[in-house]
Amino acid sequence: MTEQSAVFVVDDDHSVRASLESLLSSEGHDVHVFGSAEAFIAAERPDLPGCMVLDVRLRRESGLEVQRELGRRGIDLPVVFITGHGDVPMSVAAMKAGAIEFLLKPFRDQDLLDAVNKGIAIDQSRRERAARMAELRDRFAALTPREREIMPLVAGGLLNKQIAGHLQLSEVTVKVHRAQIMQKLRARSLPDLVRMADRLADDIAKA
Amino acid sequence: MTTSTRTLGGLAPATGRASAPVPGPASGAAAGTAPRGGALAALFHATATQAGVAVVVVLALLAALVGTAPFARQPTQGTEILVPAYAAASFVLETLTAALLFAMFHVQRSRALLRLAAGYLFAALMVPAWALTFPGVLSGLGVDAGLQTTAAIAAVRRLGFPLFVLGYALAPVCSDTSPRSLVPILRTVLAVAGLAAVCLWLIVEGRPVLPGFMADDRDVTRLWYRVPAVAILLYGLAAAILVWRRRFALDMWVCLVLVSLTVELALMSWLGGATRLGVGWWAGRLYGLAAASIVLLVLLSETTTVHLRLARAVAAERRARQDRLTAMEALSATIAHEINQPLASMVTNADAGLRWLGKAEPRIDMVDAALRRIVADGHRANKVVVGIRTMFMTGAQEREPLDLGALLRETVRDKASEARAAGIAIDLDLDPALPPVIGNALQLRQVVANLIENAIDAMTATAGRERRLRIAARGAERGEAEVSVADTGGGVPPELAERIFEPFVSTKPEGMGMGLMFCRAVVEAHGGRLWVAPARPRGAVFAFSIPTALVPTNAPEVSR
Repeated sequence: MTEQSAVFVVDDDHSVRASLESLLSSEGHDVHVFGSAEAFIAAERPDLPGCMVLDVRLRRESGLEVQRELGRRGIDLPVVFITGHGDVPMSVAAMKAGAIEFLLKPFRDQDLLDAVNKGIAIDQSRRERAARMAELRDRFAALTPREREIMPLVAGGLLNKQIAGHLQLSEVTVKVHRAQIMQKLRARSLPDLVRMADRLADDIAKA
Repeated sequence: MTTSTRTLGGLAPATGRASAPVPGPASGAAAGTAPRGGALAALFHATATQAGVAVVVVLALLAALVGTAPFARQPTQGTEILVPAYAAASFVLETLTAALLFAMFHVQRSRALLRLAAGYLFAALMVPAWALTFPGVLSGLGVDAGLQTTAAIAAVRRLGFPLFVLGYALAPVCSDTSPRSLVPILRTVLAVAGLAAVCLWLIVEGRPVLPGFMADDRDVTRLWYRVPAVAILLYGLAAAILVWRRRFALDMWVCLVLVSLTVELALMSWLGGATRLGVGWWAGRLYGLAAASIVLLVLLSETTTVHLRLARAVAAERRARQDRLTAMEALSATIAHEINQPLASMVTNADAGLRWLGKAEPRIDMVDAALRRIVADGHRANKVVVGIRTMFMTGAQEREPLDLGALLRETVRDKASEARAAGIAIDLDLDPALPPVIGNALQLRQVVANLIENAIDAMTATAGRERRLRIAARGAERGEAEVSVADTGGGVPPELAERIFEPFVSTKPEGMGMGLMFCRAVVEAHGGRLWVAPARPRGAVFAFSIPTALVPTNAPEVSR
């Protein structure tokens, strides 16, 4: 992960911060440390797969609150919580909010490194998914309005004849559109197209 | 008084009096305070409402006395039948009053209450015998106790009650501190019951030699008039003592009872000619009954209030204990956190160092840095432990007169090199006439050291300013000395000014948020205060006050 990932440490204790920086960079991580959540939010972050190591109890705010705030700001980084004295409700709340791991200080170094690696892997695949989705969206944007109309019908399993009847077009026209759609979206087969249609529908629904 | 030859054997509390026709010394004292509710309230530590009620009742009694006086000598016919009803009411009222007083005693543990309750119980226990022996009341059952029995019982009751009241009036003010128990109440009840039984037995057995109070069934002899006279003298004596001692609000109601008894006796014995079952005889008893009812109601509400207050006190105590527990929990959580933080850091630093060391090409520089951080963390953890030890060690409560100036000079000397390294100039401004203070040298030195360290940290965190630490001490008024530590650092944000003394609150990037909490705890344990104010033109002033040794009265124990 040396060149391809970043770890963000947010802890208000400078000694803990320095120790984490040293430990993580000894494993080749690109480590960025912050004394507060504001500093982290304000900072310029490298556009790399990453993971966050967050102290539950920051000077003026709770790490759980920071986690929510990041969510609101669309910063979608996996979070590894570390805490001096965790209790069960706190860890449950953190895990529910999507934390990777909840580590009690002092923790075993391997536990932290594993959690961070897991977080980076999760972020990596999330980013890949997002990139694929973005590309698909671009391809979809290249479709003409008529093609966008026809695509869901094709994906829905209708025959060309049925689509032609539905849209009052000639079957040949539908065939041409269909070929265009497959080509523009780079779908290799009908099932491939169906999957793309599903993902696009999910994406639109999410937006 | 001596004019009328006829007499009556009044019910215990109700009979005549010897001298003046109107309330004797007792009522005189009480009535004298009556017109002014405010003065009365102040006199007996009662509320204005209570005093108002008392004044109204006394005035009503006097009005009733005046209103009834012209008809007092008229006889009534066939009212013997009402005697048992009156006796029952009287018995119930007095028993209830006694029970309430016992209940109050149970809460307040005042011997005075016990004596008063005994008086009421005694009076109540004499009533049934009086009614049973009353001529004509139970004649249908063939009871004939003899001519003098009823009057003798009445005399014992009339004179016994004020004796108990005297005992009440003379009782010490302080409460019994013995644990709450029913034993004294039971003992009192048994003793009073025994006393009543002995009195009745003596009267019944001694019938032939009883004094001749009665001339016939309805009229008294001259001898009888000594009874109300002595009774009223006793009432007056008791009331005078109560007014003189000014103890508590209950005394006012007891005085009211004494006034009503005096009115009762006046109506029955003199205005009513001491004739049994006459208008005056009945009116006096009824007025007495009404006054007793009012006093009972007052006692009832008093008792309820007392119990309410008790319940509230118990709840408050429970809350306070809860608060203390919560504070302890917060403190132990703080301590756990403050020690765990450097420990965690040490473990991670050591792990990191090992990893740097284990590399194909060991990074000695990184190992070096990790080890240095471990050393710093170790010192930091130790500081926490020292702080806790100073706060809780044995002897932490020991106080002695201290030379505050010497203490400050030593502490400043200890911190001088640290300050010099940070480029900080120190001004020490000590009042030459600084009085010695009372305190624990180790703890106070820790407080001053803490404040100085904070000031150094605050100034180190700011760049490009003059760094000046100013420590001043002077004797303040009110037997206190004041020490202030002013820096030219970034100051304390106003919103943190009060919270900064709470655990975990700090303006330092690596602050423990515990030092100031500790400082405040120590200073307050010394009977002083610790506060923060902004310094001019910038920075913060932390100052604390501490009692000086010039007020030696119980100064060593000022700790809260």
